[in-house]
Amino acid sequence: MSMLLTKRLARSLWRTKLRLSAVVFMVAVGVFAGISFGTYANAATSLYDGIYDGEDGINLADIWVENPSGVWNESASENICSSIENDWPDSNYKLESCEPRLILDGMMFTSDSSGDEKPIPAVWHGIDEGLVDKVWMPTYSELSSGRIAENSDEIVLDSHVAKALEIEVEDTIEISSGYGKSTYKVVGIGFHSMHLYFATEGSSIPAEAGTFATGYMTDEGLEALANLSAGSSNMILIDLEGSPVYDLQSTTELNENPELTKLVNDISALMYVVDDSPVSVYDRSGVFSVELLRADAEGASKMYPYVTGMIAAIAGITIFLSLQRLIQSQAKEIAVLRTLGVPKMAIMPGYIIAPLFIGLFGSVVGILLGIYFGAPGMLSFYEDIIGLPIRYETDYALVSQIVIIAMIIVLLAGIRPAWQASRLQPLKVFRGQHEVKVSSRKLQRLTSKLPATVGLSIRSSLRKPMRVGFTFFAVGISMLLFGAMLFMMNSMEDSLLGNIKDKQSWDVQASAPIGGEDTVIEWVGESEGQYELLINFPIGLVDDNRELLAYGLDDFSTMDDKSSMISVELLDGKLPAPNSVVTQVLIDQGTSEFLGWNTGDEVSIMVGNTMHNVEITGITKGEVSRTIYFHRVDLSGLTGIESTSILIQLPDGTSLDGLSDITVGYSLKSDSIKTFESLLEQQQQFISSVQFLGIIIAIAVLFNTLLMNLAERDTELATLRVLGAPMKKIGKMMFWEHLGIGLIGGILGAIFAFFGTVLLIQSQVQWAFYFTIEPQFAATFTIVGIITAISIALTPVGMWRISKMDLVDKVKDLSQ
Amino acid sequence: MPLMEISGLERHYDMASGVVRALDGIDLEIEKGERIVLLGPSGSGKTTLLNCVAALDSPTSGTYSFAGKDVPREKSEEMTTFRRENIGYVFQFFNLLQDLTVLENILLIQELSGGRDKDRALELLKLVGLESEVDRFPAEISGGQQQRVAIARSLAKSPKLLLGDELTGNLDSKTSEMVMEVLVKACEAEDITTIMVTHDEKLSQYATRVIRLDSGKIVSDEKVNQ
Repeated sequence: MSMLLTKRLARSLWRTKLRLSAVVFMVAVGVFAGISFGTYANAATSLYDGIYDGEDGINLADIWVENPSGVWNESASENICSSIENDWPDSNYKLESCEPRLILDGMMFTSDSSGDEKPIPAVWHGIDEGLVDKVWMPTYSELSSGRIAENSDEIVLDSHVAKALEIEVEDTIEISSGYGKSTYKVVGIGFHSMHLYFATEGSSIPAEAGTFATGYMTDEGLEALANLSAGSSNMILIDLEGSPVYDLQSTTELNENPELTKLVNDISALMYVVDDSPVSVYDRSGVFSVELLRADAEGASKMYPYVTGMIAAIAGITIFLSLQRLIQSQAKEIAVLRTLGVPKMAIMPGYIIAPLFIGLFGSVVGILLGIYFGAPGMLSFYEDIIGLPIRYETDYALVSQIVIIAMIIVLLAGIRPAWQASRLQPLKVFRGQHEVKVSSRKLQRLTSKLPATVGLSIRSSLRKPMRVGFTFFAVGISMLLFGAMLFMMNSMEDSLLGNIKDKQSWDVQASAPIGGEDTVIEWVGESEGQYELLINFPIGLVDDNRELLAYGLDDFSTMDDKSSMISVELLDGKLPAPNSVVTQVLIDQGTSEFLGWNTGDEVSIMVGNTMHNVEITGITKGEVSRTIYFHRVDLSGLTGIESTSILIQLPDGTSLDGLSDITVGYSLKSDSIKTFESLLEQQQQFISSVQFLGIIIAIAVLFNTLLMNLAERDTELATLRVLGAPMKKIGKMMFWEHLGIGLIGGILGAIFAFFGTVLLIQSQVQWAFYFTIEPQFAATFTIVGIITAISIALTPVGMWRISKMDLVDKVKDLSQ
Repeated sequence: MPLMEISGLERHYDMASGVVRALDGIDLEIEKGERIVLLGPSGSGKTTLLNCVAALDSPTSGTYSFAGKDVPREKSEEMTTFRRENIGYVFQFFNLLQDLTVLENILLIQELSGGRDKDRALELLKLVGLESEVDRFPAEISGGQQQRVAIARSLAKSPKLLLGDELTGNLDSKTSEMVMEVLVKACEAEDITTIMVTHDEKLSQYATRVIRLDSGKIVSDEKVNQ
């Protein structure tokens, strides 16, 4: 390999500084994004593993036995644990410990800006600090402090709440759980596994700061607050020796641990014998916070190689096209060298080394940006969203992995141009035959009726179909970054916000204490409001540890009439009828997809320990969580529960005074809406950054190709100028040409972005979090508009280039 | 009134080695209908003179009028308009647009110059003997045929003056003769004045006037074949 040849190539590349920097920029962005996303994915995975099962972790339970409809007293609790210990099913797993736990809904009383009392819904845990599922109080983070509760008037407040309400250790708080308020002293600030992902029950998005509270007190403390007898519980935590893997809800065919599933089923059967209450038995996949964070970490791990690969592929395409153009412009030099006897193998290496150097330089820039800005920024953003302390350490294995991906892609991009360069035939080059290609006859026929200017525009744009194809592909990928955010956010907004804003017309959802519904209904009547009773109950599947959330509705209505407080959007089928021989239900689209259930099917479900058959009369759309809708009268018959909450509509301006005294807790629809809006706002900066990145890359890719197209047409355009073609007409021709390219690129980009996002979402949806992407006119229009604008923006650049053309020089070229 | 009047025309270039006087005081009058061949060794100033005449280049000093009007030399668009309205240009390497057929190459120039006239384009192709090749792409016809298309293209907007820079330089002698015959025939039919820059003495046989340049100056100017 000749150093002089390589030096010559380097100088040629240096002459195209703008394009060269665009390529370096794209490699850098790919590496930067890979490191940022990868660090986030790794940090999330190791964070949860550390919390659940690490040395300073909380020892997360392996099996939960939940009583959703009542509370066991001390003897019942002890009896359940002793039965489980004594009648331990035949399993490879050994029981480590069995621990009753009390978890109750309640309220926390804070003050609003005007100093008035503001109750917020809460969940209180009575934790006998034993061996399982302890409060997590990491010493390395400022987000946690103090100690665990030891006395019955002490509480550890969740860090999310303490931060939002600016409560510190030693402060006192006023809380309730159905029976009057009590004051507790905050002795610690920490986290709990069920609320690491800090969302209210049934919600898929983190609660807005100050709208939801959780706290962890001693079991005596919570019993006193709720006026329950000592030893009461409504949850049994079972810890097994070791940490068994569990069935991942996102996979349908594979059960990652059938042994654990069998154990869950055996304990469920055992509970049927031990206790009358309908219970729900599940493994870690049934704990929403655990499952969602696991799925999120898994999604991020799956995603970052794609993100890196996608951006590096764009860089690869740009390198490929730029090198091809370079070879074309250097064809005569290469032909001279070949004529002088320079062997093929001496020509090739330079064109392979060039992309490697570009890749290496881009990678160094990307590594520095990723390590010092991207990864810490991404983790800090994630920390802000989920409110968990995340330790950042540079993962050099990850950095190497990302750089290797990027380098392989840029190397591949250089191979074909290098091969083409080494195989140029000197004679053909000298005769100019390597450039002359007979235009497509078919295209000529198609455009023959058009004015010659238009025909020329179309034909010269399509002269290099591979280049145009690759460019549109790269633009499509960059639009995937931009469009995915656009399509996803719009769809999520429709699903999450639309679900509550448009489909639900209640103002307050209140939980009455057992037998206290009438008092709440009376209060609604006095407030001149309306109410509907609602049952929310976990429904199990046969030989499957996944759960659905059942809604027992007083009345059904669709989006057309919206006559009930919760309406459904029917995708297929019809509304169920109450009191049918076989209970009729609706299921959501996600459940239908995951379980393969369809309208008209009769399927078996588990209510507590009992199997029931239900008939699916329709499928609904828009639910993020897996949902099954019953008539309340039917669900009540199956569960023995009249209601779990009361939906209330109130005239505008009605005061909620007194409601907290007669309910276990209540939540406001306006808070739920605020929660989503604040999440969107929080994510806006991140979304805008990714969108901006997508646009910048699209600009770089399009400009690169269009500039190459223009440069290749210098001779043509100079000829036209010499022959007297006015700038205005050439500009007009160029405008229409760029408009056409922009529109086609934009439409292809939008199609690519849409289907890419659909595929992306399909690979990311989980049992716990499902939504679909719908075609959206506004998003499509935005993408087409942006690409068209970028393309048209190059017209003035092209015009400027032509106006600066030295026609005397060009004529010299044309005559030599 | 002569078609062109050039007086004291100079074109200097500032080079690292000093000022190069590419044209050094050219005085020239050209009458309508003349066929001029500009001869001279390399670097004599032939092409520079042609560029100044075509309003592609701006002379350093001197005057140049065309049909009694000063030729623009400052503003690029005015120079382009002058070319469009008055000048036809034939290149050595034809420079046909490869994506357009023979006919479309001519139509394109008409469209860019103001009006598409397919009948005239076909008439011109007939004039240069290429009526059977109208739908071929340039790469599908011979070099001589391509140059005839280029001539037809340069005539498409009815210029008053046709300029050719080594227009047979890329053709063999037999083809050169054929192209020149076509050019003479076409220019006579259209009543167009021509100036051709060449190294080839043989082209003098098609000229009515032969001008020789050396070192930026006219060294001889004679009427021939009258």
